[in-house]
Amino acid sequence: MALSLKKQLSSSGGFLKFLVKYNTVFIFVLLLIFSALISDVFFTTVNLSNLLKQVSGIGIISIGMLIVILTGGIDLSVGSLVALLAVTFALLINLVILPVAIVLTIIIGFSLGSVSGYLVAYQKMAPFVATLALMTVARGLAFIYSKGSPITFNTTGGLFMSDFANNATLGIPNIAIIFFIIVIITMVMLRYNVFGRLVIAIGSNEEASRLSGIKVNKYKFLVYAISGALAAIAAIVVASRTNLGSPNMGMAWELDAIAAVVIGGASLNGGRGTAINTLMGVLILGLIGNILNLLNVPSYPQQVVKGGIIIFAVLLQRFENK
Amino acid sequence: MKNLEQEYRLEMRGITKSFGLISVLQGVDLKVKPGEIHALLGENGAGKSTLIKILSGVHEKDQGHVFLDGKEIQPKNTHEGQLLGINVVYQELSLVNDLSVAENIYLHTLGANKFWMNWKKITQQAAELIDTLGFSIDVTSKVRDLSIVQKQVVEIAKALAEDTKVLILDEPTTVFDPNDIKKLFTNLMRLKKEGVSIIYISHHLDEIFEIADTITVLRDGVDTGSVAVADTNTDAVIHLMIGRALKDLYPSRAIKIGDVPVLEVKNLAGKRGVVKDVSLSVRAGEVLGIAGLGGSGRTETGKLIFGADKKKSGTIILNGKEIHTKSPVDAVAYQIGFVSEDRKEEGVFLPLSIRRNISVTNFDAISSKLGFINIENEYKNILGLINKLNIKTPHSEVDVKNLSGGNQQKVALAKWLSIDSKVIIIDEPTRGVDVGAKIEIYNLINEVAKKGVAVIVISSDMPEIMGISDRILVMHEGTIYGELPKEQFSEENILRYAIGKALKSTNPNPLKN
Repeated sequence: MALSLKKQLSSSGGFLKFLVKYNTVFIFVLLLIFSALISDVFFTTVNLSNLLKQVSGIGIISIGMLIVILTGGIDLSVGSLVALLAVTFALLINLVILPVAIVLTIIIGFSLGSVSGYLVAYQKMAPFVATLALMTVARGLAFIYSKGSPITFNTTGGLFMSDFANNATLGIPNIAIIFFIIVIITMVMLRYNVFGRLVIAIGSNEEASRLSGIKVNKYKFLVYAISGALAAIAAIVVASRTNLGSPNMGMAWELDAIAAVVIGGASLNGGRGTAINTLMGVLILGLIGNILNLLNVPSYPQQVVKGGIIIFAVLLQRFENK
Repeated sequence: MKNLEQEYRLEMRGITKSFGLISVLQGVDLKVKPGEIHALLGENGAGKSTLIKILSGVHEKDQGHVFLDGKEIQPKNTHEGQLLGINVVYQELSLVNDLSVAENIYLHTLGANKFWMNWKKITQQAAELIDTLGFSIDVTSKVRDLSIVQKQVVEIAKALAEDTKVLILDEPTTVFDPNDIKKLFTNLMRLKKEGVSIIYISHHLDEIFEIADTITVLRDGVDTGSVAVADTNTDAVIHLMIGRALKDLYPSRAIKIGDVPVLEVKNLAGKRGVVKDVSLSVRAGEVLGIAGLGGSGRTETGKLIFGADKKKSGTIILNGKEIHTKSPVDAVAYQIGFVSEDRKEEGVFLPLSIRRNISVTNFDAISSKLGFINIENEYKNILGLINKLNIKTPHSEVDVKNLSGGNQQKVALAKWLSIDSKVIIIDEPTRGVDVGAKIEIYNLINEVAKKGVAVIVISSDMPEIMGISDRILVMHEGTIYGELPKEQFSEENILRYAIGKALKSTNPNPLKN
């Protein structure tokens, strides 16, 4: 009888096993090589730094999404939160000094996330429903407060932010550095901090967590609040890049964030996923968009390719998990 | 019906199977005659379940041959297995909670042959089937609303709804009371007369000797041979199973029990109404047994003390001070531990490593104020516990789902040992655990008590509860119906209290009523 692929993989060890285990890295490297071969422009500083700038916003909310998904939840509100918080930040930056505007925006993001957190953790509402509601509310509020049109930064604080967001340190775009720092902090929290351990425990078995004396509700509440705070940071980043806050920002970003987390091998049932793999997921999605743009592929076929990559990545993970 | 040329209904020859690098079965033979009840024994992890899953089509074998009525078969999935007449009652219930009893019983036929279902007929057939089994369950009710005993009955009915040639029962009686077991055995004898071949997996040797004709024992993936029940005895079988003689299943209890109670419970009642009025006390070093039939409130009592269920009224006193356990968070803060009867759903984190499982209660000791974990301390603690509890694993990073039931149970216990619990409540300490691991768990309970911990053991296994307890409380309809001191331990006494009757002679006045 034919041996299963899985068996061949485990018995042949070495390279194939490595590929399956680090399949996201593998896909990422493959795409890098492919991109370099197919386009002369790809490996230029300008393009790579553009790519990093483009993915940073979605990247930051993907990390929030990862933490929520680790508990077995989902946060559909993040895209709309980015819009509302970008508008909020633009309004604030024209009113108060920059540090206050930044801190207030993050606090508001945390509070908005807390609304989902409260509904999910304490009112036992399904995460999908609670965050869907918040998604609609947030988008509506973004249009109301901006009166439907983008709000431009018009203070020195705004100028500073836009400079910061469009510049680089040691060749790495500043906003990408923020994204990477968030990834590293999350990595450390998930591996070495009680918070991360408990989030993963809750996602892998909520009832066993409760019966182990874990404050399940507190942590479920917190992950949505953190996701909201990260949406605020993403909003500040994307608003600063374009020097304005628009109610149309972050359209469908929640879906890209979910895609990135899933490509990164996280389970939507909770309990499984890492920050570094989510980073890979974000970069893979960004790369696909980037190379297809370089090849002048219109945006609709791009979507088809993206969907295909998601399926391919998840199929590869099945070998790892069985 | 009987094929004269074919002595055996089922022949499995030289079955070999491995998962990854782990070899589970190595050339196992199993031969079952028509109308034979064949017991398949072995410790957890010996390969029983894998062998059954190969037979029923869940797993594919690596090598070997399976013959049914002399014809080689290779079921690729359970549906093919069912079409061949091989039906399995799994240990883990495989029912759909949101469908009715009748729908569950005939689930395999849904959509298989016809587009439309005749619900009236199906409901009637299901009712008749349950009726012939000797149980009474409303077949239109949702499986979600059934008790675990009723679910097990539905599981059995489901297997019998098909024309069955080979019926496999994997630990069918774990949730059954003696009365239910009797009913099950009557049914098995009836099927046996009809010529059905039955493979019966159980850890309860007394059941095996009561009902089986032949025994095949697996040890570490190798079959150590088949014997007729008439030609062997319990000791010999245990020897075959664990490779050594079993001197004493239960440890001797020579522990000094404290004078004052560590934990006192007064007039406890639960919001759900299962527990109506429970008072008890446990002293340091004491192992208190709580017995009772399913539904008597024994599990709920444990959960109420631990704060996992909502209380209606009652007081809990720990070391002389009243405490309020509104949730398990409170109970754990008071160093009260609880090991659930439902290991997989409530006890352990199956996808997580042993280290992550055990540490979950112990972060205060191994982490800084900001919550950063001292990994070195963590490993030291975990490796110490793995060693102490003799958890059989190559290292601490093995996922708990890959451990045998006994080792999983040890992990569930380790969680509470790592935080020096003052009171540990253990619900069904050895459900689905093999003999070898059972002994280790009993010794562990004994050792824990020796350290001055008050231990409450809730169990439906009567030899077990009598073997390890210092005193037994018997529950009946949500109250403690009677208390048995060690001198009065007997299955009969426990049963009499459990069904709400007084003891026969010596003690005419039970605590309540």
